[in-house]
Amino acid sequence: MAGPTPMGISRDGQEGGRKPSFFGGSEVGAAYVLLLPMLVLFGCAVVYPLVETVVLSFTDMRGMAAGKWVGLKNYGTLFADPNFRAALSTTIVWTLVVTALSVGIGWGLAIVCSLAPRATLVFRVMFFAAYGVAETVSGFIWLGIFRPDTSGLVNAVLAGIGLGDWTTAWLGNVSTALWCLMAAYAWTQVGLPLMTCFASIQTIPKTLFEAAYIDGARSASIMRYIVLPLSMPGLRVAIFINLLNALRAFDMIFVLTGGGPVRSTETIGYFMFRESMLQFKLGYGAAATVVLLVAVVVISIPAIIKRTAEAT
Amino acid sequence: MTNRHSLWIPVLVGALAVAWIIPLVGLLLTSLRPPGDITQGWWRLDNFSLTLDAWKSVWTKYPLAAAFWTSFKLTALSTLGTMLLAPAAAYAFQFLRFPGRRLILIVIVNAFVLPQQVVIIPLFTLWRDTGLIDSLWSCVIPFVGMSFAWSVFLVKNFLEDFPKELIEAAKIDGCTPLGTFWYVVLPNALTPIAAVGILQFLWCWNSMLLPMLYLRSEVPLTVLLARVAGSFEPNLDQQSVAAIITMAVPLAIFITFQRYFTAGASSRTGGKE
Repeated sequence: MAGPTPMGISRDGQEGGRKPSFFGGSEVGAAYVLLLPMLVLFGCAVVYPLVETVVLSFTDMRGMAAGKWVGLKNYGTLFADPNFRAALSTTIVWTLVVTALSVGIGWGLAIVCSLAPRATLVFRVMFFAAYGVAETVSGFIWLGIFRPDTSGLVNAVLAGIGLGDWTTAWLGNVSTALWCLMAAYAWTQVGLPLMTCFASIQTIPKTLFEAAYIDGARSASIMRYIVLPLSMPGLRVAIFINLLNALRAFDMIFVLTGGGPVRSTETIGYFMFRESMLQFKLGYGAAATVVLLVAVVVISIPAIIKRTAEAT
Repeated sequence: MTNRHSLWIPVLVGALAVAWIIPLVGLLLTSLRPPGDITQGWWRLDNFSLTLDAWKSVWTKYPLAAAFWTSFKLTALSTLGTMLLAPAAAYAFQFLRFPGRRLILIVIVNAFVLPQQVVIIPLFTLWRDTGLIDSLWSCVIPFVGMSFAWSVFLVKNFLEDFPKELIEAAKIDGCTPLGTFWYVVLPNALTPIAAVGILQFLWCWNSMLLPMLYLRSEVPLTVLLARVAGSFEPNLDQQSVAAIITMAVPLAIFITFQRYFTAGASSRTGGKE
């Protein structure tokens, strides 16, 4: 039990070299006892699926039949598949527009709210509330708002203000469905940037504002040179989280359009579901998932570096 | 500097905030007004009356009570699992030295990038082969397993500020590492454990994709609602009640503890402002 503690495991050496092995052996034992249940579940729910998805993407597995190794064939088929290429460009538009909309609105609101922090407390929570509503429920609600006749709110408002010609089946129309979906999804996502940017602005010391006033700075310059740069930490977190959320989005697309009409609202995250779970092309779906995974990891590289440094 | 603005800002933000939650108000009114009055929309006021009919009749129309119970079981198991196992792991990573510590930690905290789409296919074939399809565990295991990416990180961040003197003192008094965890660290780490529980509760209750794929006979509220929403039946009042029941519990928790969600998003426990 009293084996020496391996060197170089704990870089910070917080226990120091003072008593290197007295509790060393039992420490290792205790560590594994504490970690074992977590490692089993993590292995089963994360490591195994990750490895298996990559492996399956090189096979032609369909339904119940075991697949055989086909090398890179799935990827070749994938990038030649017009449906996948459409899903790829839909994903890019979807991710960028949803993130820009939600972060832009949230950031703007955060700046306005920071001018009257106390008086806007309840209102900030109201914006944030949509983030706590299940996407399934949000989808159900927006289904009602976009209803094709004038019992849908959008069409009723258009008819009410004399734009009756513009009423349409918003979600059943190839040219509008994706935009409606993006608006509905952005509605759920605005609260988080609002809160993180607001928190960043609140950390700006009051003395900074006072100094700026004494120096004769105007509101516009205070905005430009103090509030904007110092809201950056919250803004960065929000952009990153909203990008990831948008890339992974599924529930709302499923409820609102089911990827339609004619697959015009399918992102890669939805495409892989259709191919693997509805058409049972498991190997093909796995290849699409790997593409999604690569996109997510590439976007996350800065966050991965930061988190690794913070955690160890 | 804020006094000059103090009138128009709350008015403007307030108006926008009210507009923002109009969809939720509409949901509530649809559930409370007789369907005959709102065929032209819930906002029409020409015939205004409120009724609880839909709230009474919905329970026989949809298996809401059973779905609520399933949601509860699924969420409770997943939340308890994470609340128990994440602090144990965080303690081991923060205070114990063992081979592989750095590598395992790096892998776990970075797994937060993985979309849930990654687990769908492998776990579907795994559960099919092991007969776990339609068992709650088919969802509880991935919910708990995937949560470690952020839950371990969150608790470990908190433990970085944990007074080392307490750990040293326990050691000198002859407390084993396991004893130190149980008697010294755990009772003093209830704040991040509660935060982990709240975040996990909301995430599990609101999730739809995995339960939809892996559960058949017993489905949670979200899956039931997705089916109802896709049915295009005319009973919007009853459907709205189902939607409200689906969102009520997590929304109440979310609004009460909304600060944790901002803090959790920035991957900090941050009890202080």
